[in-house]
Amino acid sequence: MGRASIAVFTLILALIYLIYTGSYGVLEVMIALIAGLGVALLLATDLVRDPGKLSITRFSRAVGYLLKYFTIIEAQAHWGVVKLILKPGASYKPAIVRIPYEVSSEYSIVSIANSITNTPGTVVVDVDEDKKFFYVHWINATTLKDQEVRRIVSEVFEKEISKIFE
Amino acid sequence: MIDTILFYLGIGLLFIGGVMDIIASIGFFKFKDFYTRLHAATVGAIGGGFYPLLGVALAVMGLDVDLWFKAVFSGVSLITAAIIALGVPAGSHILARSVYRSREVEPTVIADRLREDLEGGGSN
Repeated sequence: MGRASIAVFTLILALIYLIYTGSYGVLEVMIALIAGLGVALLLATDLVRDPGKLSITRFSRAVGYLLKYFTIIEAQAHWGVVKLILKPGASYKPAIVRIPYEVSSEYSIVSIANSITNTPGTVVVDVDEDKKFFYVHWINATTLKDQEVRRIVSEVFEKEISKIFE
Repeated sequence: MIDTILFYLGIGLLFIGGVMDIIASIGFFKFKDFYTRLHAATVGAIGGGFYPLLGVALAVMGLDVDLWFKAVFSGVSLITAAIIALGVPAGSHILARSVYRSREVEPTVIADRLREDLEGGGSN
């Protein structure tokens, strides 16, 4: 973790502190900077294992992924569940399916699991980190084969997130 | 011009959030199973919690007020939205996992791969 990263992290934390307190006197700015520096020094080695991976390209990919995720993908998933709720007598087939994944870093696993759980219709029930499986409760299972389920549910997340964190 | 667009976009997101909350509460009555109700809860939390906060942030940016007011209100809304987007999946995952492992509720499903793997040890 280089000095530049510590400085960036400190400034972001100080900015969040200042926004939350809402006052911008000299004393407040000093407190924000000191608290931010302390937290940055305390947590930096745990949060960032490999500083070589920090780059502007990865950050812009992450922003692009978040924009796409919170507009298109979430809208489609919401529409699927809202249809099930509002259509009288709609039939659905809930199932707990197995989804293989091929990423290794902890950040990638957590981000993919969060992306799956955050879309309505799929909830990650369990993770097997040795065999690399997610076990996902899917409200309307159209198929039960592992690879086809992966293609429908998690392939888009995995493709984008492996470019950000791997 | 851009202020008006931001304001009405934000109000539209707030409206969508209210509708999503109502639909999620109808879903709680319609779905009978714990796990399927979790999906309705996700609709209520993301559609009815995350998007309205984004809407507040956008609408405040379109108002005709001081800059510090805009910064405080939209900043707090955006940070809270980020915390919701990170916290909600952790909460529903740990609910589902603990209920499944403790066998408090048996899921009514057409296939249960996790039970197969936990008990059989085989794979297909």
